[in-house]
Amino acid sequence: MIVCVAAVGQQNNPLYIQSFTEADDALKLHHIVHCSLDVVDERVNNPKKSGPTLNETFLGMLYPTENYKVYGYLTNTKVKFILVTTDLDVRDADVRNFFSRFHAAYVDAVSNPFHVPGKKITSRIFADRVRNIVKSFGLSSTG
Amino acid sequence: MEDFPEELRRPPVALAALVGCPELHAPITTHLLAEQPPINALALPDISKISLFARIPKESSAPARPVGGILKRDWLFKHRTRIPAVVAALFSSDQISGEPAQWLQVCNDLENLKGVTKGRNIKLVVAVVTQSNSKDEISEDRMIALRKRAEVDSKYIIIFIPDDPLELKQSLNRLRNTLGELANTYYKDEGRRVKARIDRKNLSSIELHIRYCFKVAVYAEFRRDWAEGLRIYEEAYHAVREMVGSSTRLPPIQRLVEIKTVAEQLNFKISTLLMHSGKLAEAIIWFRRHMGAYRRLVGAPDANFLHWEWLSRQFLVFAELLESSSAAVQNTSSATSGTADKLTEWEFYPAYYYQSAAQYLKEKSSCLELALSMSENADEIDGSNESVTTSVYVGQFAKLLEHGGAFTMQLLTDEEFVRHALAEGKRFQDSFEIIALLKRSFEAYNKHKTLRMASYCGFQMAREYFAINDFGNAKQVLDNVANLYRQEGWVALLWEILGYLRECSRKIGSVKDFVEHSLEMAALPVSITTDAQFFKDCGPAGSPSLPQREMIQKEVFGVFRGESEIALNEENNPLKVTDDHPLYLEIDLVSPLRVVLLASVAFHEQIVKPGRPTMITVSLLTQLPLNVEIDQLEIQFNQTECSFIIVNGQRPQLAAISHVQPGRRVETAPALEIVTNKWMRLTYDIKSEQSGKLECMYVIARIGPHSTICCRAESPASMNDLPLWKFEDRVETIPTKDPALALSGQKAIQVEEPDPQVDLKLGSSGPALVGENFIVPVTVISKGHSVHAGELKINLVDTRGGGLLSPRDVEPFSTENLHVELVGVSGQEWEDQSESPSDSIRKIQPSFGLISVPVLSEGKSWSCKLEIRWNRPKPIMLYVSLGYSPYSSETSSQKVHVHKNLEIEGKTALIISHRYMLPFRQDPLLPSMTKATGDPDLTPILPLKERSILIVGAKNCSEVPLRLLSISIESETGGICTVSQKVEDPMEPALIVPGEEFKKIFSIIPEVNLANLNIGTVCLRWRRNSGSEEESGSCSTVAEVLTKLRLPDVSVEQPPIIVNIKCPAHAILGNPFTFSIRIHNQTKLLQEIKYSLADSQSFVLSGSHNDTIFVLPKSEHILNFKLVPLASGSQQLPRATVTSVRYTAAFQPSISASTVFVFPSKPHFELSNTEDTRVRSVTL
Repeated sequence: MIVCVAAVGQQNNPLYIQSFTEADDALKLHHIVHCSLDVVDERVNNPKKSGPTLNETFLGMLYPTENYKVYGYLTNTKVKFILVTTDLDVRDADVRNFFSRFHAAYVDAVSNPFHVPGKKITSRIFADRVRNIVKSFGLSSTG
Repeated sequence: MEDFPEELRRPPVALAALVGCPELHAPITTHLLAEQPPINALALPDISKISLFARIPKESSAPARPVGGILKRDWLFKHRTRIPAVVAALFSSDQISGEPAQWLQVCNDLENLKGVTKGRNIKLVVAVVTQSNSKDEISEDRMIALRKRAEVDSKYIIIFIPDDPLELKQSLNRLRNTLGELANTYYKDEGRRVKARIDRKNLSSIELHIRYCFKVAVYAEFRRDWAEGLRIYEEAYHAVREMVGSSTRLPPIQRLVEIKTVAEQLNFKISTLLMHSGKLAEAIIWFRRHMGAYRRLVGAPDANFLHWEWLSRQFLVFAELLESSSAAVQNTSSATSGTADKLTEWEFYPAYYYQSAAQYLKEKSSCLELALSMSENADEIDGSNESVTTSVYVGQFAKLLEHGGAFTMQLLTDEEFVRHALAEGKRFQDSFEIIALLKRSFEAYNKHKTLRMASYCGFQMAREYFAINDFGNAKQVLDNVANLYRQEGWVALLWEILGYLRECSRKIGSVKDFVEHSLEMAALPVSITTDAQFFKDCGPAGSPSLPQREMIQKEVFGVFRGESEIALNEENNPLKVTDDHPLYLEIDLVSPLRVVLLASVAFHEQIVKPGRPTMITVSLLTQLPLNVEIDQLEIQFNQTECSFIIVNGQRPQLAAISHVQPGRRVETAPALEIVTNKWMRLTYDIKSEQSGKLECMYVIARIGPHSTICCRAESPASMNDLPLWKFEDRVETIPTKDPALALSGQKAIQVEEPDPQVDLKLGSSGPALVGENFIVPVTVISKGHSVHAGELKINLVDTRGGGLLSPRDVEPFSTENLHVELVGVSGQEWEDQSESPSDSIRKIQPSFGLISVPVLSEGKSWSCKLEIRWNRPKPIMLYVSLGYSPYSSETSSQKVHVHKNLEIEGKTALIISHRYMLPFRQDPLLPSMTKATGDPDLTPILPLKERSILIVGAKNCSEVPLRLLSISIESETGGICTVSQKVEDPMEPALIVPGEEFKKIFSIIPEVNLANLNIGTVCLRWRRNSGSEEESGSCSTVAEVLTKLRLPDVSVEQPPIIVNIKCPAHAILGNPFTFSIRIHNQTKLLQEIKYSLADSQSFVLSGSHNDTIFVLPKSEHILNFKLVPLASGSQQLPRATVTSVRYTAAFQPSISASTVFVFPSKPHFELSNTEDTRVRSVTL
């Protein structure tokens, strides 16, 4: 289950962060997302370590905490997408699929002429769309 | 890692024992340890001590007895330190080859040894210690007998020679090799023996299986067979994992504890082995599996803290292993090698494991607290159960019971065990441990420059400090962390941290910090849409939400107004803002409190005259959720007299109390209330008397009697975005009504100088002439201001750019280099003679001058003259600026400046030209002249000791008439050349109008034959025509100017032949006259001369037309022709051509030289001085 998704701007400021959990650990998820930016930085600054992922937007699993797995995605405009999931067994394809759909939603949201680039995304439509994407995570492939 | 026993932490080392010859034990032990692989040695001084190794017979080997545990606690220790793999028996050669009684003793000892070693399969080596000189003395028979007695292979009988260094070394090596080989054999045999038991598969319990596996692995480690050891350890580990569900031997809690403890040891062994063999990635994957297998085995809820503690220890130990493993850095490249178990970078950092260890320890701490509070008789749980101790099995505890002096172990019930564990847990302060772990992690992350991870660790650390009431440390850490969150705009995280900081400040008793943190929290962009309901564990501040912000703001403003106080913990007095403790906050350009109050100040103009009013707009913005009412607003400028105060009209009585300085301007505004995210704009006019910069420095808001917020003023044009709010989607407004002003407004304005009321006049008298001291009169006329401390600055600037100096002016000033220079200031005329010029400043430099001007009262004037000399023609710009102070008082340093400039062109007055000529109709043959004809640049050649004529011309190229006083040639070298003036002093000072040229003739006779003859310098004395006095009144005394021109050098040559043509000045029609050509040979050689004469139609000629003649050395030859003119008027004489054969030079007189005027009849005038036709003074 996806517990948190976030879009983080160029200055590492949160553009959109939403947790999908009933538990009271939303703040902890904020911490996890924030910490994962360090890994993104590391991956981006030392691309040779990640070898084949060069020039790819999908950054793969960033780091495992004891309960969560964190995945990252970097757009061309240096906007980072972070996904936190509690699933133990996650297929890369699912995550990639999720990110590409999330990216599309993000692009649509920032293409809104009333949106100022670099500011938080407050669009309710975007939030609904993200919720749908989160809900359908993993469904397409598992059946 | 320190929790593990020593024998587990270090890889096992083979153990050997030495008996006999105790004096040799020390060198042997050292040697065995020093070599690779090392061997530990037990030195037994006496052979009787060998019985220590003997196997203690088990009392009852009944198979039905259940297995008490998995691993025996002291088994490993025993094999590392007490049970040797091999025994070396040392006998001296005397004993063997000596008396039969000694031999008997040897045999006896050997029997004893064998008795012990056989029981344990310990190997035996016999070393015969002998002296180097007697090594062959032992008989062969005795050696064979010894071998048979000892029942060892012959190669295990060693001759040991201690007294020769070389031999000793060889002996030691021999002994070492043998011992190593035998120890290996021993451990292999033992391993195989135990392995055989496993393979038989008829083991009664799984515990035994694990125990045997462990043993086999340890034996393999003894042999340094790491791969085998690893494999068997893994087998044991898996077996342990299988036990989890199946074992029923112990009560459930203790059972789990035992399993975990054993698993922990096995895991430690495996991790160590993997890491030491450089398989870092595999070690990490192994550890991950280990965690996966055990993480969820929490166990019974009342002892779950044990699980978390165990888990934390796993991470800590692994972190330490990782840290100590040198391979940790290089091997990260293998991160991507595994496909299924993809590792991330973070798992290679020990910091990650430290952090996890801290997290689990925190979990343990909270579970322990819960467990303690649950147990009803918590107070009774203390250290009284000292009788509980560790049992003989790893991971088990037992009760020590005393039965009349004898102790027996008894198993614990789970309840007893939990009580014991709780008592143990109470003894430790977990917080310090957690902080220590987090600090290690924090430092490691910081070293890696992973600031966010470090911040998270720091935050957890601070929370732990907070929990143990160490607020100082907590605050320090949190302050750092908060900066990162502020910078990156993580509002929810910042909120949490600020909440802690606020509480820390409250507990420390720092009102200022408390207020600052509260204000920042209240102004955080916590949006309404944030899912506040999910933020539950948000620290002391509660969840971030708008109502919470409003509450905080209310609380703080209560403090501001002194109405409420900050409640502290009991022991401190509640803090309140009072007279004694005023509150002063400062908000600068980088302060996070800019969101609380932002002051933007804009002048409506950029420049203003002194004393003129201009408008200023002060705009204030706040992001606090509730409206902010300010009692008093003070606007401070760098010119303090401009500062003013705005008082809130609604609260006059409150405002009255405040700190109004007498004489300060006070304005009253109808209301001073700032609405959230809406600029409050206040526009006032302002007037400055002082010229210079007027800048708004601070906007100070006073709320309540003792609280002040001092905001640094910001210009709208260069205002930064609000921190945090810049990421928010909000309505942004501009600080001023005028959008243009919002873009360009500045908080500073330039106040101009007052208008000067003094005239500065520069008199000009047309172009300056090169060489003269050009006079520029400067007049200062006061027209309203009196002049005090006046200063006149004079600057000469080249109008075409470039300096006034010649290009080569790098060297220090020398007057020749200067094109134009300020020579001096003359004629300073004081109208008021009483003013002494003693205090006047005078500073004159070639292109700069500074003159002080005396005090002038209104209406008076003062003037001086600048003398400027042009050395080269060049236009310049003359800048004169007068700085003065209109008031005599010293204090007002306000100076008024008047600037004037004048372009002056410097022109050359006279152009001097010169020309050399030969006397009329006299031509010397100059051979070098004939060679190089047609070269205009050729230096003129003058004939030696012959008269030449020099014409010097002076042309007036200025625009004013000049009076020429004299022209002369000053010869620098006397005697080598005679220069004489033709006419003595023919003229009055000659007036030359512009464009006119004056010429003067000199005759020159070179006396010395020189290639470069210096003729001299033309000196021209002139002055401006004094008739022009009226035009420039100041030029009353026109100075003479001397212009000099050095004549170029000429060359002198001895002419070999001189040709003179003689002819009367005029002829009369029909009257014959004589035309003669005189050829003078000046050489000592005979000269062959050819001549020819062309007929002229105007004359009848008598004489030969062509001939060749010879002129004798140093003599003259004259060719005479008689001519009768046939036509009147200016007539061409027959052209004569004279050719010198020797010099191949032909001469033909010029047209002018061969022209004669023929009168039709004899004219009626006296023909006098006709003999002097050859040389005439000519004015052309």
